[in-house]
Amino acid sequence: MLESGFCKYVVISYGHNAVSSDSMTTMLMTLGQDEEAFGHFGATGSYALAAQRAMYEFNTGPETWKHIAVGQRKWANLNPLAMTYNRTMSYDDYMNARWLVEPFRLFDNCLVSDGGRAYIVTSAERARDLKHRPVIIAGLGQHNPADFPQSATFLAGPTGAQIAGEAALRMAGITRDDIDACQIYDCFTYTVEITLQDYGFFKPGEGTDWFQGGTIEPGGSMPVNTSGGQLSEAYFMGLTPITEGVMQLMGRCGERQLGPQTGTKAPENILCSDNGGILQCNTTIILRRA
Amino acid sequence: MSIKDKYAIVGVGYTPQGRIEGRTELSFHLEAIINAIDDAGLTKEDIDGLICYRHFPPASDSYDVTPYMVAQHLGITPAYISQDAN
Repeated sequence: MLESGFCKYVVISYGHNAVSSDSMTTMLMTLGQDEEAFGHFGATGSYALAAQRAMYEFNTGPETWKHIAVGQRKWANLNPLAMTYNRTMSYDDYMNARWLVEPFRLFDNCLVSDGGRAYIVTSAERARDLKHRPVIIAGLGQHNPADFPQSATFLAGPTGAQIAGEAALRMAGITRDDIDACQIYDCFTYTVEITLQDYGFFKPGEGTDWFQGGTIEPGGSMPVNTSGGQLSEAYFMGLTPITEGVMQLMGRCGERQLGPQTGTKAPENILCSDNGGILQCNTTIILRRA
Repeated sequence: MSIKDKYAIVGVGYTPQGRIEGRTELSFHLEAIINAIDDAGLTKEDIDGLICYRHFPPASDSYDVTPYMVAQHLGITPAYISQDAN
């Protein structure tokens, strides 16, 4: 609608009272249609199915996911807005947590949050006259390859991230090597793994090695979910990742700011993702520092 | 035709987050939007497009928040309005 000249300034918003209302119970009881009768509840059950299949197909599992949960928590511990700002997490904490739906333990799951988030899009030209250094939308891609897991013909990828990611990089005219950090939709730890895998950061099953040694953490070579993400900051759908990408490129992230102070590269390009349904669609957006 | 580099994000709006008792979904939409408008250095009259992101079912004591509702409570009349699908 901006391209058509229909609008000049578009706001995108999200709000939810997920913790202090019964909304999530309704979600749990209705998302699987009739399958609740068989013990299949909500998004956790469906993603757990997909993750279980991935464990079988390319040998992933908790030894990979613990790096995602603990790595993102380290970023949250630098973010005073994060729900887990004051709570550190060790690998033992991760492994000793209770199962929610096997193979997911408590810390494989995102947070449930009251709150909201919004951002504003306009033309690059108008953006120049506004308050902050604008963040340019360099590339976009979307792909919708799958049905719900109950009826999908494949469960362990490739997800929409593969084609959406290629499209976004192509539009931006850059390669994966030009990406300085990622803000990945992280409803579950496994979602981060399969999304980065489908973007081609590592081959199927090689995530365990790729994540080892703090790759995504402060000081790492590919920072991921630098606010703590949905696992450790707050859950606001796709707005948690994209707004963090924006704030990092504007240079407004305080203690967690990418660059020398966190031992990371000062970012020029940040890749952000959203993922809808149960790994059914992916939107990739590449943000660039103006 | 590519939209590469033609558009930009110019403001972000936050709200209190965590366990915030006694608040409706609508109130969080409104607060986040107002803060994003302030952050960009705009006024609400500048906003002519409103997209509410995909969302979960409403609480049993509440109602489904629509972008029409959000626009009305903000006091704006956007040219374009939409609710993202799940």
